[in-house]
Amino acid sequence: MPKYSLLVNGEQVELTVSPGERLLRVLRDTLGLTGAKEACGRGECGSCTVIADGRPVMSCITLVTRVTSVETIEGLADESQAVREAFADEGAFQCGFCTPGQIVRAVSVLRAGVEADDSVIRREMSGNICRCTGYDSIVRAVRRVVDERDEAARR
Amino acid sequence: MTVGHFVRHPEWSQYTTGCSTYVADLRVPGALTARVLRSPLPHARIQSIDVSRAVQAPGVAAIVTADDLPERRYFHEGPRLADRYPLARDVVRFVGEEVAAVAAESRDQADAALRLIRVAYRRLPAVTEVDSAVRPGAVAIHDRPTGTNVALRIERTYGDPEDADQRTHVEVRGRFRFGRQAHVCMEPNGTVASWNESSGILELWTSTQSPYFVRKEVAHVFGLDMDRVVTHEVAVGGGFGSKSKIADHEVIAAALSMRTGKPVRLVLDREEEFATTKCRHDFIVDLNSGADGDGRLTGRHALIHVDNGAYNHSGASVTGAGVAKLASMYRTGGVSVDARLIDTNKHPGGQFRGYGGPQVLFAIESQVDELADRLEMDPIDLRALNANRAGDVTLAGWRIRSSHLVECLQAVREAIDWDEKRKLGGSGRGVGVAVAMHVTGARTYEDANRAEAGIDVCPDGRVRVRFGGADPGTGQKTVLAQVAAEELGVDVGDVDVVTMESSSGVFDLGAWSSRGTFMAAHAVAKTARAAAATLRERAASKFGVGADDVVLSGGHASAADDSLPLGDLVGLPEDTDGELQVEDAFTVETELVNHETGVADLSPTYSFAAHAAEVEVDRNTGEIRVVDYVAAHDSGMAINPVGVNGQIVGGVVMGLGAALGEELIYEGGRLVNPAYVNYAMPRAADVPPIRPILIQHRDPVGPYGAKGIGEISLEPVPAAIANAVAHAVGVRIRELPLTPDKVLSALRRGVEPSAWRRFRLWRRPGRWWIALMRWAYPRGLHHVLHRWGTKYAHAPKDENLSFVVVPRTVQEASRLLSERVRARPIGGGTDLLMVREQGLVQPTGVVDVTAIRELSRIEETSTGSARIGGAVTLADLLRWSEASGDEVLVQTLRTIASPQIREMATVAGNLVQEKRCWFYRNGFNCYKRGGSSCPCYAVMGDNRFYHAVIGAHRCQAVTPSDLATALVALDAVVHAYGANGRRGVAVAELYSGPGETRLEATELVTDVEIPRSSRTRLSRFEKLRLWHGDFAVASAAVSLALSPAGQIEDVRVVLGAVAPVPIRARRVEDALRDQALTPDVIERASTAWTVEAHPLQANAWKVDAASGLVRRALRSLQGELPDVSPSSAPAQPWS
Repeated sequence: MPKYSLLVNGEQVELTVSPGERLLRVLRDTLGLTGAKEACGRGECGSCTVIADGRPVMSCITLVTRVTSVETIEGLADESQAVREAFADEGAFQCGFCTPGQIVRAVSVLRAGVEADDSVIRREMSGNICRCTGYDSIVRAVRRVVDERDEAARR
Repeated sequence: MTVGHFVRHPEWSQYTTGCSTYVADLRVPGALTARVLRSPLPHARIQSIDVSRAVQAPGVAAIVTADDLPERRYFHEGPRLADRYPLARDVVRFVGEEVAAVAAESRDQADAALRLIRVAYRRLPAVTEVDSAVRPGAVAIHDRPTGTNVALRIERTYGDPEDADQRTHVEVRGRFRFGRQAHVCMEPNGTVASWNESSGILELWTSTQSPYFVRKEVAHVFGLDMDRVVTHEVAVGGGFGSKSKIADHEVIAAALSMRTGKPVRLVLDREEEFATTKCRHDFIVDLNSGADGDGRLTGRHALIHVDNGAYNHSGASVTGAGVAKLASMYRTGGVSVDARLIDTNKHPGGQFRGYGGPQVLFAIESQVDELADRLEMDPIDLRALNANRAGDVTLAGWRIRSSHLVECLQAVREAIDWDEKRKLGGSGRGVGVAVAMHVTGARTYEDANRAEAGIDVCPDGRVRVRFGGADPGTGQKTVLAQVAAEELGVDVGDVDVVTMESSSGVFDLGAWSSRGTFMAAHAVAKTARAAAATLRERAASKFGVGADDVVLSGGHASAADDSLPLGDLVGLPEDTDGELQVEDAFTVETELVNHETGVADLSPTYSFAAHAAEVEVDRNTGEIRVVDYVAAHDSGMAINPVGVNGQIVGGVVMGLGAALGEELIYEGGRLVNPAYVNYAMPRAADVPPIRPILIQHRDPVGPYGAKGIGEISLEPVPAAIANAVAHAVGVRIRELPLTPDKVLSALRRGVEPSAWRRFRLWRRPGRWWIALMRWAYPRGLHHVLHRWGTKYAHAPKDENLSFVVVPRTVQEASRLLSERVRARPIGGGTDLLMVREQGLVQPTGVVDVTAIRELSRIEETSTGSARIGGAVTLADLLRWSEASGDEVLVQTLRTIASPQIREMATVAGNLVQEKRCWFYRNGFNCYKRGGSSCPCYAVMGDNRFYHAVIGAHRCQAVTPSDLATALVALDAVVHAYGANGRRGVAVAELYSGPGETRLEATELVTDVEIPRSSRTRLSRFEKLRLWHGDFAVASAAVSLALSPAGQIEDVRVVLGAVAPVPIRARRVEDALRDQALTPDVIERASTAWTVEAHPLQANAWKVDAASGLVRRALRSLQGELPDVSPSSAPAQPWS
């Protein structure tokens, strides 16, 4: 099986992978990074969202050989600090299973410079299903960080 | 003081960094992976099971069948109702029933072994619907003493219905149906089981709301003492009732662990979650409600059929709970009910948030509005008049200790601006209200009124709460930390909460029946008070004061000038492990459920709620948009207000799912839609902000005045929406979910069909052959093809991908595609990898085209056309279009899938993606999957949404690409490169069939070109879908150019998802050409295409919906015209 090199949360790792291997399996089974969750395995729910080569993608349907660098919820702990606290304060997780995917997606939305508009945030977060919260608290949490960012930019 | 205030979840940091450990995340050295072999048939006798080849397969450690388990059924609701073995024994009764299970070193090996197990079945007649199950002569699924396929019958009267009927002045009747809803917990169900032969201890890490019931059932099945079954704490990813009793994975994992002596992990996949775990029971409620002339409710009479599915589980108690609620809602004169729990060959129903309540409330609350209508009373006033009040005893014996329902009604009246909005009736916008009540911990088991807790005070001053239940996401851990902090005077951050550990020795039945907070908070508070008393006594003796003089605060015990940290007060010789460990039990006085009379005050208190919704109904398409939603709740005092609001909002959105889109759909007993992509549950953009209102009054018996909240928030939602729709457009829909097909059909009822569509089949000989086939399907053809034709279906080969090659040039890619046998180009892979797993295409390898630089370029050429590389992602095209001003592309792309998918999916991949027919995709051996001897399941099956209404032949599927629909309207050309060089194909000519193109297998889409002339036209894309990101139910792209005088000079009208391929609606174009874009012209033109339609039995509404989309697109273009001011637009005929 071919050898393959992947930058994971800033650290270069060497892997042996079979053709067709998915990124999520490598992250969870080989590297022990279980923050990204498998809820559907078909790219339909967003629970396994990671940032691969700068793009937010569903790692369950991403061929690992396609990717050169990946950032996961574990590696984004610092960058997501404000998002994480906002999630905690707004009650934006209940069972928590979709939460890593939600937070990674929120980080990518913030990186892209989303505007301070709840309907835009709802649209941008619509690839991540949550069955518990009804989404309001998630939208509020993201909005709070967007507002803080805009406030900081004005100062 | 922490009770009554928001505090963060004690484990928020773990949850938000991905460090919480769910079953699938546990690191278990040496663990085997289990997979389950399931019945492919709805009803059959198992003649033999041959596992001889499978046991020898690589990596396989053990296989179990029913013969390997003790012959014991799940206990569930007692021996009288117990009817299910953990693995099917002799007979399978639903598609997906567990027949055998494999444990292997890897999941792939386990899956491979499953395919080697040979099961010989003898088919039995199947009854998959309630009406066929109760028909005389129907096959009996079980041997029931209560009648064929009648698992339970409840015939009762409450109060004096005959006397009440005497006072009836107005009466309404109707049949209401709720449908089957799935819980869709985000975490798939799973268990790690580890059997230790020498100690005889079975350890379980399992996703459950109730470790107690799991232990009890597992011990029962294996004949073990309950203390031999040990549970451990693990994060639980959602429950909503589904995990409040044992599920179907725990025993199987345990059996495999016992066989192998190794730990075994069994985690279901999403398809198994949808298709085999227990769902909400479908209720068909025939209801009569009456009221006297003043609006007081008189008699209520119900005939209820509950679809049990193939096994009992909680069917009996869900039915009983529905009946009790029917007899408790409002002050009612009398109630009679005949409820029947009916067996069908489908996967069983189970416990689900609301527990029979949402189903009966949908009927009751719809009829209260109908009564208000008849009485010409305001619906809120009518509800307030009849509301249950404190001191009332309902007909089912429920003693109402506190009720602020009238206050809730008043709150929603103000919040939604009811009195003003009610004036909008019939305008397409409307408001509706509905109310609910719910138990707080029903005593359905002898011990359900009791809970224990442990409190440990440690030397470092930290406090540990031990609790026997589980927190599946309900916030219970937060509440318990708050309670302990409150009673012991410590910071909530200094409290740890340990749940689910059976070794902690504290008893609790778990989180269900909205009992979590009530029972657990009481138990923890009582225990913490006992611990606090001990701490005060110890401090008092040190300080030389009375215990009453000691105050616990800030982690210290203090009296006058003396103060000691709590940690200094523990470690006495009588303490265990140096900790002060206290255990206590809480018991509340309630009556045990009475299955004979149905009368019992079974809950310590009852919660109330009133909801109001504002909706907008699109008469073009039948879509309902929820504009505003307020939910006022009397759940007593909130211990954690953010948590309570979260339960309300989450419950409302789950209710909106049931109201508007969610339903499990079956064909021949097999689930048609076992995937998120096929199940219309709400995404963030589908729902408005929900506005919770807490009406806080101290309940006399609740902990800190609190009552239950978990379930009630879902219950009124469907009726509130149905009532709002009735107000908005004047049609009453009694069957959930309120999908556009039902709404649009109801709106058209009574309107002469010839006024808007004429199919004129008799004049179209080209369709006669297809019409004959469709005629023959229900008359035996379907049966023959399904039963025998599918035997000749070609089976997919199961091969792993053997190569992924990454060429750098188009020429190289083309060469690779020609040379390698069955190689496929891959772009984002969002579809190809899926269809490979679904067994629809079998590439041996893939040619990754995303590294070819020229394929990833978008440019504006010197002539002003747009050239879009085939490997450009949809996200990049969207960003480019936003910048370039190609609005119609922006409109189209934003509706496609999710942002993450758009970051991966490519333009070429979108155009050539496989059809999305849910039969084809979800394993049905259909004409396209299995070959010409197989039926098209869409002809007889559910074809309301995703099948063709025009031009279909033997396959009814459509081309799913929305981009194609828009690109046809924009005269776009696809360029492809193959063995014979480069060629161009108009997108309009690209497709030969549903999701099938005229490209050669060796050809590669290099780019798509949109000419300048069409980019400058006025264009618009409209799409009807069931959820944000769904594939089109129908779409329309309109592109037109106007003369200086305002006449339409050039026009394209393209319809998507209504035919096998995107089609130009030429008759519409003809009706528009040389005309000015006036309302009359729009109205006439938008339906001009419908004479060519040939819909199936259930999708004719799509003809109207697609016309509606054309109308919507033309109107919006009309609105963009510079010379037409919006105010001059005349009234629109359909709105």
